[in-house]
Amino acid sequence: MSEIALPDSPLAAPALSRARTRTLRIGFVPLTDAAPLLVAEALGLFDHVGLRVNLSAETAWAPLRDKLAFGALDAAQLLGPMPIALAAGLDGVQAPLAVTAGLGVNGNTLTLSRALLHDLGRIGYPLSAAAFAQGLRRRRRGASRPLTIAVVFPYSSHNYLLRHWLASAGLDPDRDLRLVVVPPPLMPDRLRDGQIDGFCAGEPWGSAAAAEGAGAIVLGSGDIWPNHPEKVFAVTAEAATAAPDDVTACTAALIAAARWLDDPANHTEAVEILRRRAFADLSAETLRAAFDGLAGNEVQAAPLRFLPATFPRRDEAAWWLRQMRRWGHVPAGVSDATALAPWRADLWRAAALRLRVAEPPAPPPPPADVLRETQP
Amino acid sequence: MAVEAGLAASGCTVVAIETGTADLTRRVRDSGAEVIVCGLDDPSRDEIEGMRALHRDEPRPVVLFAEKAEPAQIEAAIEAGVAAYIVEGLAPARVRPVMEVAIRSFRATQALRAEAAEARRGLAEQKLVDRAKAQLMQRQRLSEPEAYKRLRRMAMDRGVRLPVIAGEILDEK
Repeated sequence: MSEIALPDSPLAAPALSRARTRTLRIGFVPLTDAAPLLVAEALGLFDHVGLRVNLSAETAWAPLRDKLAFGALDAAQLLGPMPIALAAGLDGVQAPLAVTAGLGVNGNTLTLSRALLHDLGRIGYPLSAAAFAQGLRRRRRGASRPLTIAVVFPYSSHNYLLRHWLASAGLDPDRDLRLVVVPPPLMPDRLRDGQIDGFCAGEPWGSAAAAEGAGAIVLGSGDIWPNHPEKVFAVTAEAATAAPDDVTACTAALIAAARWLDDPANHTEAVEILRRRAFADLSAETLRAAFDGLAGNEVQAAPLRFLPATFPRRDEAAWWLRQMRRWGHVPAGVSDATALAPWRADLWRAAALRLRVAEPPAPPPPPADVLRETQP
Repeated sequence: MAVEAGLAASGCTVVAIETGTADLTRRVRDSGAEVIVCGLDDPSRDEIEGMRALHRDEPRPVVLFAEKAEPAQIEAAIEAGVAAYIVEGLAPARVRPVMEVAIRSFRATQALRAEAAEARRGLAEQKLVDRAKAQLMQRQRLSEPEAYKRLRRMAMDRGVRLPVIAGEILDEK
């Protein structure tokens, strides 16, 4: 790896003199928005803040969650709704977490199979929910099975943004089509084999499916909610209590990595780091698309970005919670305070203070909820 | 595979072994499996979670097999009731009790969930009847008790439940 001079170095003197204590075990799923973790490791940012980190690639979200909940990991990249699910103890797994930073805004794509695109006929980019609903109704008459779209996990931004988008066109995601779960790296194969008709996943998997000709990206998640918060960095409450300095140092390293990632001059190197560490089978071009804000040949209005994402906003997380309630995924007895307790802006501020990074301005509000049809 | 031998030795019947993860729902149904045993790191675990959370499809208890795990982790997992862990090298005699605990805790969770769903449905139906009643009051200029009596009579005449009639009235407009 080449020597990299860090602009406005995050490495405040006190951090350097801190004695290394223990190793922080951090899990991630191979996705472009794991970049802050991978870059912090590759550029030596963790070392600089006096932290020993063991980064492990996990195969899917459920194993990652269980390892975090049962003590085999200290921290992880998580889908935004997952800390809510864990705070509420959904599906029997409960774990108090602290979200100290966001890892990205936007960056998921809806990719449809060539066969489905053929059925839909001429569509514009980004695909409108109304046009999709129209195509779906036309297709349904001749279809032998319901249209199947995969998301990455039940408690995912993908699931809730897609449901919101479908509902905005009057579609019932539980009746008019079939939503299934497939881990991100398996999406392109499933699309090619015709087991699913489309998928919503984080990059690079949409671009990877398009590159091998299995389908095309028709929509970015940022087209549904511009600059929506995506993955978060969460530590176990136990780690936050036992080693608060480590957590602050780790969060600072991630903010520094996000700042480095948002500089276009670093994108080529960022792609190289990702490829080396997590995506050996993909081309640099495929990985590069998300950094360039491209979906195929289309320019994304709200592309994947890192630095604006790092400040964890409880009011934005509240949107996930509302969707989870709307679809009956969270029982009525769970309060807002309990479900949103993991979001810890105070821990981000402690880390940002070291870097003299200012709190970003408030983003535009999330999309208005689509009201539920009061039907039986 | 050691797990398979361990299961057989503990008196379980392995009805199917799935290596791929395609169309898991159908495979679970066709195999008639009572429990799904799967590796902690198996990517198909997300699909199993999806089956449960999104569709309530073919719900089955899941027993996870971990090659190595700290005893504290196993205890935490079992206490959480989500899954039981079988760790490599666990004596066959201890496998079966773990499976049984998983099945029992799973059934208890299912029963609670069914109860909650029933309660939600009841509430939704009550709201439907209220709205149909309000509509009758407005359209036919009836008092509340009259509207309710009318609804009840219509339901009795047709031999259907009150919410069914209420739904039809609301659909008419």
